[in-house]
Amino acid sequence: MLARSTALLSFLRSRARSTPISCSFLSSFPPRAAMTTANGTKPPSSSQPLSPQAARSLIDSVDAFLFDCDGVIWKGDKLIDGVPSALQALRSLGKKLVFVTNNSTKSRKQYAKKFTSLGLDVSEEEVFSSSFAAAMFLKLRNFPREKKVYVIGEEGILEELRLAGFSCLGGPEDKDKKVELKTNFWFGHDKDVGAVIVGLDQYINYYKLQYATLCIRQNPGCLFIATNRDAVGHMTDLQEWPGAGCMVAAVCGSTQKEPTVVGKPSTFLMDFLIERFKIETSRMCMVGDRLDTDILFGQNAGCKTLLVLSGVTALADLEHPSNDTHPDYYAHSISDVVELSRTCAI
Amino acid sequence: MLMTRGVSDAFLAVSASASSRSLVVPALGTRRRFFSTLLLPSSSSLSYSSSFHFGACRRLARRASTMDGRTVVRAAAPAQKLENADELIDSVETFIFDCDGVIWKGDKLIDGVPETLDMLRSKGKRLVFVTNNSTKSRKQYGKKFETLGLSVSEEEIFASSFAAAAYLKSIDFPKDKKVYVIGEDGILKELELAGFQYLGGPADGDKKIELKPGFLMEHDENVGAVVVGFDRYFNYYKVQYGTLCIRENPGCLFIATNRDAVTHLTDAQEWAGGGSMVGAICGSTQREPLVVGKPSTFMMDYLANKFGILKSQICMVGDRLDTDILFGQNGGCKTLLVLSGVTSLQMLQSPNNSIQPDFYTNKISDFVTLKAAAV
Repeated sequence: MLARSTALLSFLRSRARSTPISCSFLSSFPPRAAMTTANGTKPPSSSQPLSPQAARSLIDSVDAFLFDCDGVIWKGDKLIDGVPSALQALRSLGKKLVFVTNNSTKSRKQYAKKFTSLGLDVSEEEVFSSSFAAAMFLKLRNFPREKKVYVIGEEGILEELRLAGFSCLGGPEDKDKKVELKTNFWFGHDKDVGAVIVGLDQYINYYKLQYATLCIRQNPGCLFIATNRDAVGHMTDLQEWPGAGCMVAAVCGSTQKEPTVVGKPSTFLMDFLIERFKIETSRMCMVGDRLDTDILFGQNAGCKTLLVLSGVTALADLEHPSNDTHPDYYAHSISDVVELSRTCAI
Repeated sequence: MLMTRGVSDAFLAVSASASSRSLVVPALGTRRRFFSTLLLPSSSSLSYSSSFHFGACRRLARRASTMDGRTVVRAAAPAQKLENADELIDSVETFIFDCDGVIWKGDKLIDGVPETLDMLRSKGKRLVFVTNNSTKSRKQYGKKFETLGLSVSEEEIFASSFAAAAYLKSIDFPKDKKVYVIGEDGILKELELAGFQYLGGPADGDKKIELKPGFLMEHDENVGAVVVGFDRYFNYYKVQYGTLCIRENPGCLFIATNRDAVTHLTDAQEWAGGGSMVGAICGSTQREPLVVGKPSTFMMDYLANKFGILKSQICMVGDRLDTDILFGQNGGCKTLLVLSGVTSLQMLQSPNNSIQPDFYTNKISDFVTLKAAAV
């Protein structure tokens, strides 16, 4: 299979060279045959760099594109180059666009506002955030309305919970709380907390960790839900920052329990997508920058998968011998999908 | 699995688990520059294993028996209730005590502790105190013992804060490199005593970050180790600083003082422990730390070497199964669980529990009361 894919790649490169429109994209990736791993072995046959032909065929074969946001659409509050025209082009081709993000700091409504402020025309119904997923998880489980939810996370989770009719504690209002480790000091917690939801929280502190720990360890049947477990993410345009994986692992460390994860790579959100858009997953393409969440999510659900290198994952990470997750294709960024397809000789 | 023993050997074992990649590390006592032999590219996702796995393997090996050529692992024998305290006391030369939940709870002494320690000393037993609590240095613990009316010297105390500094010393951690600390004063004091430069600690507790466009958090490229322990001033700034050092400084070590889930920091209740802060850094770096506190045998090997004691002559007394008792078992000592701390009899006897100490009793003053009953 390696020989076949090498041959195919060579074929595409030769075709690319013979066409008047240059495919500078292809030349930026060395041929697979030339790549060797650190210990001298060839990488296993797996992902293909997106070629013009593949781009055209990908667009033709899917009805919906699912996009991750951080590292794919934007980095922090800065749009990645070429995104607006790429999205516009896909819409004009009649494709459904869906935005599936693990970043739980905003609600769907707040995300729609962010899209608008960046000049992108995306509605609330097209956004599926892990904050929304957490609230829906509780709703589907018929979480009792008299029970409360303790949140380690930001406003997005709280807003989605309130929209779904649940009462919540914690979140940003606990960010300045301190603890007193003195004799006879008692740290109380609400016995009515029936679920703890943990997501990205830049205001993480010991008070919140202790509160969540007491709820999970001492309230019978208390659920431990994680919006996601991403290790790092592009919370700003210039560098990566610790993700929800950090806060979740902190609570795992003190409770010795594993959470139910509602965000990628769990396919929990996929049911909502199918319900809403009535499209088969085989006619969807998941586009993301992270192998262990975006690509795994797409694969778990039976979608086509495209990794973009505009976010947290570099080509070296994809090709590393220890990597087990291989998307169908990879490209520099989402604008390549449209640009390459246009250069495909018919 | 690489099996090694003693301070002069590597206490870092190689975990061959399918989910993690392993790195063979050179022996601790070989005085090679461990640091320079472990230069990894910043994008390396190789992980380290704690000696927890090493200990577990030794226990299994000790319990394995060979019947008709096959290796069979026997289930651990259930712990016996301590009846004959004298027999246990006479059979060992040294008692190692955990502190939180054994000697005190928060700042309150547990009943009968002073008399018990006096009795053991009068019988010529050596007493050592090994605590995973890294918030104080050995000197500060010495003061705490004194405040509580117990006569314990600094040399008898081994806190995980000390262990972190001792570990860096043992691998010749370069003095021109720095240590970033997510933890409290105890770690800083021990690092200073050992002559290492440090950054972080409580001073970073008030630092805030701004997740705004154009904002870049810098970090010192000379940080060669990040030490993580219990930290009540834990915040996102520290997590990011530690994460950047570990991910981007080539060969940067990730050291945990301990991974205790909860601990009795006050007498009244449990508190989230060092395992929480360490977990956070594991979550953002996707790396496993080198653990210097219990159940790693680093401190056991250190003190056995220092005092010239045979481990079979030691009884480890603690309140926690997955740190104290495992520590004792890993070291080949006798083990006594006390129920005055985080572990209840129900937890000990639960079918989910696989760690069985040799003995269990309510609290250490049973050494005196059981003895009196036997008279």
